[in-house]
Amino acid sequence: MSRTLKIILAINLAMLTALVFIYPHLMVGPGKLIPGHRALEADCFACHVAFTGASSATCVSCHKPADIGRLTTKGLALAKPATSAAFHQQLTSQDCVACHSDHAGVKRFAQAGRFNHSLLKKEAREACQACHKSPTDALHQQVTGNCLQCHSQDKWTPATFDHNQYFALDKDHNVRCVTCHVRNDYKAYTCYGCHEHTVVNIRRKHVEEGISKFDNCVECHRSANEHEIKGGKEQRRSKKNGQDD
Amino acid sequence: MKSSLWRSHVLPFSLLLGVLAAATLSGSYLLHRLNLVWVGRYMGIPGTLLIIGSMYYSLRKRKLVSSGNPKTLLTLHEFSAWLGSLMVLIHAGVHFNAILPWLATVAMSVNVVSGMVGKLLLGRAREHMQGERSHFALRGLSKPEIEQAMFWDAVTVDAMAQWRKVHIPIFVVFAALALGHIVSVFLFWGWV
Repeated sequence: MSRTLKIILAINLAMLTALVFIYPHLMVGPGKLIPGHRALEADCFACHVAFTGASSATCVSCHKPADIGRLTTKGLALAKPATSAAFHQQLTSQDCVACHSDHAGVKRFAQAGRFNHSLLKKEAREACQACHKSPTDALHQQVTGNCLQCHSQDKWTPATFDHNQYFALDKDHNVRCVTCHVRNDYKAYTCYGCHEHTVVNIRRKHVEEGISKFDNCVECHRSANEHEIKGGKEQRRSKKNGQDD
Repeated sequence: MKSSLWRSHVLPFSLLLGVLAAATLSGSYLLHRLNLVWVGRYMGIPGTLLIIGSMYYSLRKRKLVSSGNPKTLLTLHEFSAWLGSLMVLIHAGVHFNAILPWLATVAMSVNVVSGMVGKLLLGRAREHMQGERSHFALRGLSKPEIEQAMFWDAVTVDAMAQWRKVHIPIFVVFAALALGHIVSVFLFWGWV
């Protein structure tokens, strides 16, 4: 490498180094800061601690956890809160960067709307409707609470619950949830909530077959199809024989 | 039929470079599609280590180290520098944020091209030129006629030779910029 080339290289690199210190937000910052922090753009160490990244302690020195979602950093009431309910007070620890990124370049690829619910205290974690609105479709409007029976906290869809595993809802059973699940208690059900099935006619039909134990219908009937009885005739026969003993 | 230098050497070289570009774009696309952007973020580390490892050949070539078969080391140099560059390009992920890492990426890309031109093409091109020269001489062409017939091939080889001259200086630029990027990441990123 010639001496002239070496000098040109050294000058260029010195200029680049100077530019890094004069314009750090352009040279090394991963994109523009959010509007609220724009004033800090050229002062990286306002938020960052050398070698350990953005410090949550610095965040909470302005953003008091008790006020987040309720008041601004100046103590004024929030006109348009970003979430329907304040929940930062319910976090198990103050790890701001676990969810927040202030630089556009990082923010762009953060998974929007993803929130790790394990960061919430147990009681807040189970009170889904404190933050989330219930869907307005006919099915969910009948349901109050108990979201976790069908949905996980990682994803809303797919719902983890498959009704067909317990009982197939055919055209004759396409009814309101409360018809079978009284008081929206999905741990219990009754088959006597409609006019078709009554204790009397069900007892008569089962006694005719020699079956006296028929209090838990879905133990044998997983659909309305009479030919799809779980265990079939043999199981019924053994049940019958067992009772005879 | 006389095959031009462009078709027999420059075009395959361009295709090889195209494979690097295509692998970068498809790798980056897949990481974004599969929500694995964080993987790309860390690919800069093995990529940089591969590039640093590839420098052993340069040390061997300048006799700063004495162990290792130069031919094998050259093959390793080409392979690890290519793969390391691919990883760094995927790491860059077509995200235009800070200027410094992008200057480093551009310097690295120029370095890759100059390295490929210098080693991969130049040798083969010179062999091709020599063959063509002999071929024309056998057909009884005079020296000026041969020079005239091979004018564009000679221009192409001269251009490639210029590329090779920038390999070391641009590597110095790349190393300085990459170092600046790495230091800034260590300084501002939350590693713990």
